[in-house]
Amino acid sequence: MSGSKVKKSPKIRPVDLSGLKFDKEGTMKKMEDVDYLINAPRGVDPDNIYFVQVDTSKCEGCGECEEHCATGAIQAINDDGIHQVVNPAACMNCGQCLANCPAGAIYEGVSYVEEVFEKLRDPNTVVVSMPAPAVRYALGECFGYPTGTYVGGKMQAALRKLGFDYIWDNQWGADVTVMEEGTELIERIKHPSKERPLPQFTSCCPAWIKFCETFYPDLIPHLSTCKSPIGMLAALAKTYGAEQTKTPAAKMYTVSIMPCIAKKYEGLRPEMDDSGFRDIDATINTRELAYMIKKAGIDFKSLPEQEPDPVLGMSTGAATIFGTSGGVMEAALRLAYEVLSGQKLTNPDIKVVRTHEGIKTADIKIPNFGTLKVAVASGLKNAAKLCDEVRAGKSPYHFIEIMACPGGCVDGGGQPLDPSIREASICKYMIAKINKRYRKRRIA
Amino acid sequence: MKNIAQMTRRGFLKACGIAAGYMVLGFNMTKDAIAATMEFIGLRQKSVYKADATLFKYRKSQDNPMIKKLYDKKHGFLHEGPCGHMSHRLLHTNYYDRSARIKALKEKGIKLSL
Repeated sequence: MSGSKVKKSPKIRPVDLSGLKFDKEGTMKKMEDVDYLINAPRGVDPDNIYFVQVDTSKCEGCGECEEHCATGAIQAINDDGIHQVVNPAACMNCGQCLANCPAGAIYEGVSYVEEVFEKLRDPNTVVVSMPAPAVRYALGECFGYPTGTYVGGKMQAALRKLGFDYIWDNQWGADVTVMEEGTELIERIKHPSKERPLPQFTSCCPAWIKFCETFYPDLIPHLSTCKSPIGMLAALAKTYGAEQTKTPAAKMYTVSIMPCIAKKYEGLRPEMDDSGFRDIDATINTRELAYMIKKAGIDFKSLPEQEPDPVLGMSTGAATIFGTSGGVMEAALRLAYEVLSGQKLTNPDIKVVRTHEGIKTADIKIPNFGTLKVAVASGLKNAAKLCDEVRAGKSPYHFIEIMACPGGCVDGGGQPLDPSIREASICKYMIAKINKRYRKRRIA
Repeated sequence: MKNIAQMTRRGFLKACGIAAGYMVLGFNMTKDAIAATMEFIGLRQKSVYKADATLFKYRKSQDNPMIKKLYDKKHGFLHEGPCGHMSHRLLHTNYYDRSARIKALKEKGIKLSL
């Protein structure tokens, strides 16, 4: 059975990884134009880790990073305007500073790539891959495809070729999230309480969760208690998945593949061990996956289109749109509409909640229920505005979706870079600056 | 009195950038450049919605056969349905107040935007 309409293709044999040279822990490695510290933490408090930091020797003091930081964690540390993340507690790990730094001065402080390679070579470890929806809309850019090309089928094939034993899909995790979070929303609407008040905030975005815990802890009861899709898929992988495939969970090594840097923080949260093991053993992002595919010598363009392993892999359109701002909202509404009205939703497109930037609000008319008021915020500065409203008791909404990165996960901090940001030419750099100015003015 | 010497390095660069951009390119070309940058995110988003509309046999999570299997009332792993006991054990979580360290930073004199 397949989730999308792609034909089956012959079985793929993994490539031989035994001859590859590996980089030592603590060294720096460039992957898809971003520097990474080879560092695979385990059992440590993620609040003390600098997931992003500035290499002061490369910083040109332009201050671009500061404009993309909602908390002010990244700031000038001297009169030359050299920037640093001043403390990991203030950094939400969204990585928008890194993605927008024209000098390429910002690096990632955590990379599990070498550990993942080691596990892939170990015949006694069952390595499970769990790619996020947004990865497949940007991975192709690293292999010469035009921006936004969908390469889901080839991505699954590449994962098999790398030697992953199971290709479980975080889109399936997203479908589970819709069921849980949608049901929770309906429950809150029917029986609002002090412990479970309205509006309900989405809980998929790890930068947003840390933001709420750090700057709006009084709003924690508004957060959906649902784990993110990867939190759910990983916990199910080592329980339900282990049962379905008759694999001992102790032998499993789960790799979360994300468009995101903050997901590395989420994977390290001490409470993420409900399966009885560490739910998520490693988190890498789209750039690191592209690096691994290239390092293993896989010719990405010539790969066939493949499907994930169905039981924890088959997914829907509602799951794939989790990768864009407004997507979680739309996916949840496709469920909530049918449950609240008792009727079939004939056209699943709910275009009013699709958000490119800023804040979008909508009234969704649901038969036999009334009006469901929803809001979608893209970017943490916008999130703060909606949070202030809730804090003041003036929020009219039932359900609020928040994504830390503009446009959602497809523009996440772990995605391949927008080539125009790093243009060496000073002229292009100036244009980029003007763009940003202009964009701001248009929002205002 | 405000003069260039008192401007931040950042502010100065920005002013130069804007002035140079408009001088070299003129208004219309600048507009094109803006469109290009906006498109970058937009193109990926467009591709997502296209896949949703054309690539998937099912477009609602509740219609996914593998979701139905998971929540099957008789044999499903989560047979109590969404937000049941097993769901709460595995799929739901708690959050923690992390404001103390921010308070400590501010007391040390570090300025943040929030």
